Amino acid sequence: MLSVISYPLFAISVIFSLVLSISLFPADWFEFRPEWLGLLVFYWTFRAPAQFGVIMAWCLGLLLDILESTPLGVNAMGMALIAFLVLTIHQRLRMYPLPQQCLMVFLLLGINQMLVHFVKQLVGAESSGFSYLWPALTSALVWPLISSVLDHINRKLG
Amino acid sequence: MIPWEDLTIKTIFVQGPVPGFRLFLVILVSAALIAADARFEKLSLVRSSIATGLAPVYWLGNAPSRFGDWFGGLFVSRDDLQQENEELKTRMLILERRALKYAALASENNELRRLLNSAEVLDDRVIVGEVVGISPDPYSHEIIINKGQSDGVTVGQAVLDAEGLMGQVVQTSQFTSRVLLVSDSSHAVPVEVIRNGLRAILLGSGETDELDLVYVPDTADIREGDILVSSGLGGRFPRGYPVAEISEITKESGEPFVTIRTTPKARLNQSRMVLVVFQPESRREDSVPEPLITDEEAR
Repeated sequence: MLSVISYPLFAISVIFSLVLSISLFPADWFEFRPEWLGLLVFYWTFRAPAQFGVIMAWCLGLLLDILESTPLGVNAMGMALIAFLVLTIHQRLRMYPLPQQCLMVFLLLGINQMLVHFVKQLVGAESSGFSYLWPALTSALVWPLISSVLDHINRKLG
Repeated sequence: MIPWEDLTIKTIFVQGPVPGFRLFLVILVSAALIAADARFEKLSLVRSSIATGLAPVYWLGNAPSRFGDWFGGLFVSRDDLQQENEELKTRMLILERRALKYAALASENNELRRLLNSAEVLDDRVIVGEVVGISPDPYSHEIIINKGQSDGVTVGQAVLDAEGLMGQVVQTSQFTSRVLLVSDSSHAVPVEVIRNGLRAILLGSGETDELDLVYVPDTADIREGDILVSSGLGGRFPRGYPVAEISEITKESGEPFVTIRTTPKARLNQSRMVLVVFQPESRREDSVPEPLITDEEAR
């Protein structure tokens, strides 16, 4: 879809999403905070499958692990899985209308959250119900905004 | 593999084989990392060095609130400032008077301790830190402060706010450290009731406004409103800092222990300034070599 992508934008958007995932969100609503980095991995693998893939996503996930203080590798694995799934479906994904894309975002980030949650429980975190899926839902809701803003800037710079 | 000629035509579908092998590889590496980190804790050095590299992210995350403070400071009227100044001066006088009394008491106490041949010195050095972030995981109660290894902070130090004990340092990087709050469900503090010295263990409940006092027998002399201070047993927390106040006691007949709910004294989710306590070396060495209550153990 995009013939040219902008690497500076990639770097800036990643830093910004890392910042967003530790702050700038009302503390009482932390449960509902979108999975910013997951969204970014989704976006960049979707738009530039040749340049960004599993390995890059894994590295970004590692940074999130440090910020969230989860065991190293948990989020990294989740992000790699998102990238992998996007790579397998990105050709169909382009044909989908926006609502259906949102649904895919919800599904993929939901799978990511489940995997992360599962591993966290394996290493001994406590949990409650299905509330860990909220970030997937809120991410799906902000997806149209994120993708259109990033597309816009990409076209300007690219 | 798709031949090169095909790539030039089908630019939309640029993609090699589905990278299943890479995913497999990455999952293996992740599993190894998770095992090394969670089970054997081998990676703290890696973790702290990457965290040092991520210091700008913490800084940026905290920038808006700092900018807000600065911006708010631009529009304060002179009268307000003067009034605030007056109030602060009054408050300082009161505190100074109290400090004078305290200094006298402290020296007397030290004198008495010396007479008793006890090596304990009653002075903890503190540094002031600022909260620059909170843990993104809603189920873990951790904050990030802007003091790290370069300020001499080490794992295990107690962290206070103006009202009471907040938690302990569990991870350090060059410029930041991570503090586990007393309200985290994996945290425990040895405490005593200030009124009669009754010892007990205070567990975090996972809620910021509630801590549970456990294993208190049915017949123990304990009341609502009692203040709990850290007992210093276990060697991790310094002695005598207020931790919580008892808010509710439920006795159930037939149960060996009473259920006690307490409210933390520290404002766990509001304080922005915290104090990191350095215990004097002498007391460190005196303390029990293996801390009785650490968060790892409670986990």
